[in-house]
Amino acid sequence: MSVLETYRAPQSLDEAAGILREGNVTVLAGGTDVMPQSRIGKLKLQPVLMSLRRVPELRGICEEGGTVRLGALVTISELLESALVRERLNVLWQACDHFASDQIRNAATVGGNLCNASPAGDTLVPLLALDARAVLVSKPNGKLQERRVPLAEFFTGPGRTVRTGAELLAAAEVPLPPRESVGGFYKHGTRPGLDISAIAIAFVARREGKALRDVRVAFGAVAPTPIRAPRAEAALEGRAPDEPALEAAASAALGEIRPISDLRASDWYRRELVRNMLKRVIDHACRM
Amino acid sequence: MSETLIGKRIPKLDAPDKASGKTRYIHDLEVPGALHAKILRSAQVHARIVSIDTSAAKALAGVHAVITAADVPWQRPIGVAKDHLPLKTDRVRSLRDEVAAVAADSEEIAETALRLIRVQYEPLPVVATPDQALAPGAPLIHPEPHGADSSPHLKSAGAPVAFAGKPDNIAMTFEYAQGDVAKGEAESDFVVEDVFKLHYVTHCCMGISGVIAEFDPNGNLLLYSNTQVPFLHKREFAELLGIDPARIRIIQPPIGGGFGSKLDIYPFEPIVIFLAKITRRPVKMVFTREEEFLASPTRQPVLLKLRSGCRKDGALTFRTVETVHDNGAYTSWGATTPFVMMQTISSLYRVPHCQYLTRAVYTNNPYAGSFRGYGNLQATFAVEAHMDKLAEAVGMDGLAFRLKNAQDPGEVTPQGMHFKSCGFKDCLATAAARSEFLRKQAENRARWKDPNPVKRGVGIASMLHVGGGAKIYPSDGCGTILKIDDFAHVTLMTGASEIGQGSETVLSQLVCEELGLPLSAVTVVNNDTDITPWDVGVHASRTTFIAGNSAIGAAKKAKAKILAAAAAKAGVPENELSLQSGYIVRSGKEKLFELGKFLRGLHFSDRAELVMTTFYYEPPSKHQDKGFKGDVSAAYAWATQVCEIEVDTQTGIVRLLKVTGAHDVGRVLNRLGIEGQIEGGIVMGQGYALTEDLMVEGGVVKNPNFRDYKLVTAPEIPEMDVSFIETLDGEGPQGAKGVGEAPAICIAAAVANAIYNATGTRITALPFTPENVYRALHGAAKAPAWSAAA
Ligand SMILES: Cc1cc2nc3c(=O)[nH]c(=O)nc-3n(C[C@H](O)[C@H](O)[C@H](O)COP(=O)(O)OP(=O)(O)OC[C@H]3O[C@@H](n4cnc5c(N)ncnc54)[C@H](O)[C@@H]3O)c2cc1C
Repeated sequence: MSVLETYRAPQSLDEAAGILREGNVTVLAGGTDVMPQSRIGKLKLQPVLMSLRRVPELRGICEEGGTVRLGALVTISELLESALVRERLNVLWQACDHFASDQIRNAATVGGNLCNASPAGDTLVPLLALDARAVLVSKPNGKLQERRVPLAEFFTGPGRTVRTGAELLAAAEVPLPPRESVGGFYKHGTRPGLDISAIAIAFVARREGKALRDVRVAFGAVAPTPIRAPRAEAALEGRAPDEPALEAAASAALGEIRPISDLRASDWYRRELVRNMLKRVIDHACRM
Repeated sequence: MSETLIGKRIPKLDAPDKASGKTRYIHDLEVPGALHAKILRSAQVHARIVSIDTSAAKALAGVHAVITAADVPWQRPIGVAKDHLPLKTDRVRSLRDEVAAVAADSEEIAETALRLIRVQYEPLPVVATPDQALAPGAPLIHPEPHGADSSPHLKSAGAPVAFAGKPDNIAMTFEYAQGDVAKGEAESDFVVEDVFKLHYVTHCCMGISGVIAEFDPNGNLLLYSNTQVPFLHKREFAELLGIDPARIRIIQPPIGGGFGSKLDIYPFEPIVIFLAKITRRPVKMVFTREEEFLASPTRQPVLLKLRSGCRKDGALTFRTVETVHDNGAYTSWGATTPFVMMQTISSLYRVPHCQYLTRAVYTNNPYAGSFRGYGNLQATFAVEAHMDKLAEAVGMDGLAFRLKNAQDPGEVTPQGMHFKSCGFKDCLATAAARSEFLRKQAENRARWKDPNPVKRGVGIASMLHVGGGAKIYPSDGCGTILKIDDFAHVTLMTGASEIGQGSETVLSQLVCEELGLPLSAVTVVNNDTDITPWDVGVHASRTTFIAGNSAIGAAKKAKAKILAAAAAKAGVPENELSLQSGYIVRSGKEKLFELGKFLRGLHFSDRAELVMTTFYYEPPSKHQDKGFKGDVSAAYAWATQVCEIEVDTQTGIVRLLKVTGAHDVGRVLNRLGIEGQIEGGIVMGQGYALTEDLMVEGGVVKNPNFRDYKLVTAPEIPEMDVSFIETLDGEGPQGAKGVGEAPAICIAAAVANAIYNATGTRITALPFTPENVYRALHGAAKAPAWSAAA
């Protein structure tokens, strides 16, 4: 049994990073993973529970110099309400539109989703496809320090990231895609809301005439971490999204995923879904 | 005439309380001085219990009792076959098995104490399927008599050996036959055979299980219980405790859903009673949601082989059915569902020759109970698939084929059921016409080769279910006490339990209709065995029919008494008087007396007279004979449902778009209530067909939570178009029949037929979850095989 001793609610990033440095801290954002996981014993609560909710630096969505900054505390509902996200990061917006239920969306944060690092985390897949970076903050020797890690290098396994125990995730930074880019997201679950992805697909590219450029494909729930699929991307790069190109991308993707069988789907079915739905996602996105 | 209440839309009387969160469920009840109980369940699916050490748990501060079977040598087996000791003695047979229990000052302390109990097990081979259970040399689930094996305290206490054990893992068998199936088959031009596989689902009541037990100093037991069968359970608890049933009182707090799950008693109830007896304190136990999934009954999984035939003209000739039911480790009502299944097999359509054999087989799985529809979902799933297949073989459309074989009013079936009222053909015609079934069916079929991966399908299925009670006990009756006070306020005391189905409201309505009073004039008392008259419980869609007739009977007697007194007082003939809108009225219009005033007069007069009546209604139905023949219900309900779906052949996702239903309900009493009942039933059937799946592997429930056990959510609920066929049953209260179970029964069958119509693939195994459907569509599914019967 875990024994909670102190509840801390720092009011600045500096204070929060300081508390974290002292150690024995469980970081709490929306709590939609922390609470259920600690109840079933998957997560052991540390003596100090630190809520980030009052840290202003972790809030807000803004764009500066071609980079969109999503504060770690931004909720799924806030992403859905943001015109910037809807218009310029539409693939992320689509993922949020399939995320849990309204109640959970109001509490769940993008930072929590990233740090929880579930292979089925819904914002992880579009953020990977958007070439996002994680901004990590720590206070090793009395001074705040930042480092940036491309998301493709952030996840190391189910529930594991390169973030150290002394670091907070401050934000996700996303290079603003050009206006002519297209994107699509697919989440396979049995119901419209409140379902965990059996597979997820995100696709982003730029149209140059008929051809696709800067193609990025990411998958969720088909490997120990959400993954990019470079060979599928290469199969599409510079080509029109016609049937042979889509077929080539799907075949390439099947060589890149490593799905397992669990309650939600068998590995065989996950492969079938990736093949069928990657083609459909790209096809739909390019028709829009 | 005062305006009739029948057919009106009347909000449920308990709705304001429930909607405003004021209802006090068992969770909300605090009995002063109550201890909190927790149960230690087995850590093994099948094992011998070598030893149990409770010393550390007993030593924990705040713990008042830690009990095992050794502490209650007087316990008796419970359940339908009396094969289940509440606290296990020498072996555990499933993961839900109760090994020890704690009563403590708080739930948290009780939980901590559970973790201090040390149990040593010696694993036994797990029997995970009926196949394995029937294999030669299979391990036996109940090899020895319970209570006389390795438990000396039970042997020496002089306790009778209550359960003799089973040498062959077969818990229960049903055999039924009519006509001569060999002859039927010889006369057939077409014969089809399939094996159907029906899966585990569970009730998922929003109100989880709980009980509070308290003994008074005289040894009388008070139970706050969620049971749907208070009177019969009183007797079971008494037998278990070896006390006089008269010393037990059951109070039912508002119940958060039953659907059949509360038709039996389960180990936690006796265990809490034991703890109350031992600690001499009130003891309360409420399940966690995980426990509700692990330790609640299930709908019974069934493997069913059906062989059916018909002639060239479409007339059915015979049906042969064999089933194997996964009984789980103990026997509850699930084992008896073949009783209902055979009615569908023999009598939904006219079939001259039928043979039916079923076996419920012990395994180490969760055990099956009764669940809305009671086997009928399983039977209808198989029968209606064959109605489609045979129609296609003959070259008739599915509607014409069904109409040709459908029952008519007046029919007495070979099984002995007498359909005094029967709107079946109306149901078929109405549902088919309103949904444009035939046109859509033809259009969808023409699109099989179309390149669009998303296909549309439409499917039809019908059902027959008891609608006038079910005489499974020697009596199927219900009592009423009705009191009208000096302000013309009515107290209706009924034996019928309210479990959310709206019985309170409909009973009040029937009484008010008789007495010419507004609904606000009634209070219903229905939850205390010390007050309410006898009843055999909420099951078999019987409450509106049986308790309704009983309530009407009592109201009629009260009315006669009032009118007689009024006639005497006014000096007019009694037959000119009636009760309308709160008045005693002459010739249908002249107000003679205001009812309240008249009743006050009766109370205060020199020959004071109170209006208090009793009535007991026993339906004119028969207990079946040994061959399962007999007219078991006073009326039968019918329904046809047409389901329209969309199948994505690239994902296997099936979406239910629309359900068009036509229900022979006898008569609509409370329109709002019956709509709610039918819509809720459709959604429950939808869950059974498409999303719900209690995954049991090797005796382990893999998904004991609402994340992974998928109930239908609001956006998935289809459009519904429900028509009521009013056949005005001669025996029904105001002509009504029972409909509680009906709407859930045909959805899975109709969806299966719709998937065939969309894709040309017939799937005979439930549930139609995306991966299962995808596998079937792409030839990657293993069709259910009949191996168990070997
Ligand atoms: C009913 C339900 C439905 C759900 N449905 C979905 C779904 O559809 N899709 C999906 O992807 N997820 C779903 N989830 C999971 C969960 O809601 C998400 O992962 C959510 O984004 C977590 O965010 P949070 O703010 O609640 O995180 P928390 O629970 O507060 O934290 C999650 C983890 O991240 C750590 N953490 C949080 N913020 C930071 C930070 N800034 N720096 C360092 N560490 C941090 C915490 O210590 C913890 O380990 C669901 C959960 C529930 C309960």
